[in-house]
Amino acid sequence: MSEGFRFFTSAPLESPAGQVASDLESLKAGIATVSPESIFHHVTRMPVRFPHVRDLPENDFARWVGDALQLPEVSERLAFAGSLPAGSLEEVRAALLAVLDRVPERDRRRSASEGAAFQFLEARTVLADLGIEAADPAEVVEVWPRLDDAATFLHLVEAPVFGRNEYALIPWLRARGARGLADSAAKAVAAGPPVARLHRDIGTRWRRSMIGRRLVERIDAAEEIRLREARETMARLAEKLKGADAGGKR
Amino acid sequence: MTSTPEMLPTTGAPPARTGWLERYERVVGSETLRALEALARKMKGHRIVMVNTTKTGGGVAEILHRVVVILNELGIPTTWEVMEGDARFFGVTKRMHNALHGHVLPLTEEDREIYRERTRIEAKRLALDGDLIMIHDPQPAALIELCRRPGQYWIWRCHIDLSRRDEAYWEFIRPVVEQYDAAIFSHVQFVPPLTVPAILVPPSIDPFAEKNREMEEEEIESILARLGLEPHGPWVTQISRFDRIKDPIGVVEAFRLVRARRPAKLLLAGGGASDDPEGAEVLAEVREKAKGVRDVTILELPPQSDREINALQRTSTVVLQKSLREGFALTVSEALWKRRAVVASAVGGIPLQVLDERTGLLVRSIEGTAFQTVRLLDNPELRRDLGAEGRIHVRDNFLHTREVRDYLAVFARVVGKGPV
Repeated sequence: MSEGFRFFTSAPLESPAGQVASDLESLKAGIATVSPESIFHHVTRMPVRFPHVRDLPENDFARWVGDALQLPEVSERLAFAGSLPAGSLEEVRAALLAVLDRVPERDRRRSASEGAAFQFLEARTVLADLGIEAADPAEVVEVWPRLDDAATFLHLVEAPVFGRNEYALIPWLRARGARGLADSAAKAVAAGPPVARLHRDIGTRWRRSMIGRRLVERIDAAEEIRLREARETMARLAEKLKGADAGGKR
Repeated sequence: MTSTPEMLPTTGAPPARTGWLERYERVVGSETLRALEALARKMKGHRIVMVNTTKTGGGVAEILHRVVVILNELGIPTTWEVMEGDARFFGVTKRMHNALHGHVLPLTEEDREIYRERTRIEAKRLALDGDLIMIHDPQPAALIELCRRPGQYWIWRCHIDLSRRDEAYWEFIRPVVEQYDAAIFSHVQFVPPLTVPAILVPPSIDPFAEKNREMEEEEIESILARLGLEPHGPWVTQISRFDRIKDPIGVVEAFRLVRARRPAKLLLAGGGASDDPEGAEVLAEVREKAKGVRDVTILELPPQSDREINALQRTSTVVLQKSLREGFALTVSEALWKRRAVVASAVGGIPLQVLDERTGLLVRSIEGTAFQTVRLLDNPELRRDLGAEGRIHVRDNFLHTREVRDYLAVFARVVGKGPV
């Protein structure tokens, strides 16, 4: 419980996952069989690739169905189903498949033009130690602005989804009693914003939430200082009085 | 708060960066540089050698000039070796390049022997003494057969679109490529079936290069005056080789529709006509097509026209990239970096750069190109918003710092230091 939290940056390396879809049936087959890493990559790629965008685009599956197959209704449903905070990756996968199961027969015949097939990808993340460690939650708030967006994504989104608890920041904060910081971060993550906005918003929320505590700490610290100074003053006065007495005797 | 020795202190001002890292820091921010330095520390103790076939000219040399310096500044000793060749060798590799891009060309036994012979000569001359060897493109690919030493990791970086490759040429190269530890491609559509790990690393641009650096208004105007162009548009431009796949004829046709509704000027500028018979043919067709359309300027640019291209892009009200097929089309990132409003075809690597209605407008037809061009000509606010988002998108995804980050991650993965 005493260990600090060590921050890492992450660099995702994209690779072809092997599956290719040219219509809804092959998309469904792909979603059903690709690795959880591939599902994760396709539902989170937009907030990562467009970290500063004001208006976040839909996930890859929804965009492809809308653009290449021209099925806006299915696209909308996939966009909603692919919202990651819905639950685990298997729940997301099941939600996406459920949408595809409900597509009417007439729309299932649509296929993408040549060159517009959906290529399933997966990303394997390379981690690198940023050399930054926070001993307690207050220090997390302090170092937060110094992290890059990839570190934000790793510690708040990717690590919890894959159960890599050593990199998951929110449980660490909770375990150290910083429930307020953990809750506000979890709330921001659940909204699924672009990563740069997530980074910035959490930093702002945390700094605001710390204002009261810092004020109290300073007042407390000032009180301590006042007491210590008073004690030191009394001691010095006592020494003087002692010296005066001694000198008087001399 | 603690910091590990050799790592960044967590308190106080970070150590000052110098050289290109300091210049890039001003563009991408200190957090991005800190992440790059963290990845570089994983590669401590390794030495990298980059190999290609030219020191000047071409996108690969442009990238290597900067990437090699950045890797060295990050503390990873990196050298750059250039494979040399005679006219016969480069004749073969030019045909190989074109064939892998989709042209059907014969591959003779003599061609194969010329390629092998030059590889043998260069294998003795080149100093491939690092432990990470990154070979760029097919020309030097076969060096691995003669030069690989125990303990070395070899990575093949393919900058070519292999989606329409000539199978005879590919089958000549493939057994060589499959000896590498990993192969890097710019786009998923370019990846052929391979037995070695394929990794996707999109290409990138240099914001400080002559083609992309900031320019004062006076400099732009003097370049336009020298080219005989009026500074006042609105200019709609496509700057691309005169090649059928760039669809310059379609651009003229789309502009004819635009010009019927709005006052505007079209500039089609590019090279490829002087040293390529097909390019000359296309240029002649474009000139013929443009005869009946008002306000069209066609400009044949010589090689090394980076400064002119920079000025022309910055002058543009709307930048077009109406290709029928594309590789990655970094010209789009160049325009977005300059905050230009872009109308581009949804082909190749363009959709990675243009997110429809956010960083630009994607089109699929001549009429669509005309419609979106008119829309942008009429709407300066939309142009400004798309341009602003486009610049940020390029900063986040298509500058050399991102490509260096990806290379560092590939190196770490190949030497077994990631992914975890």
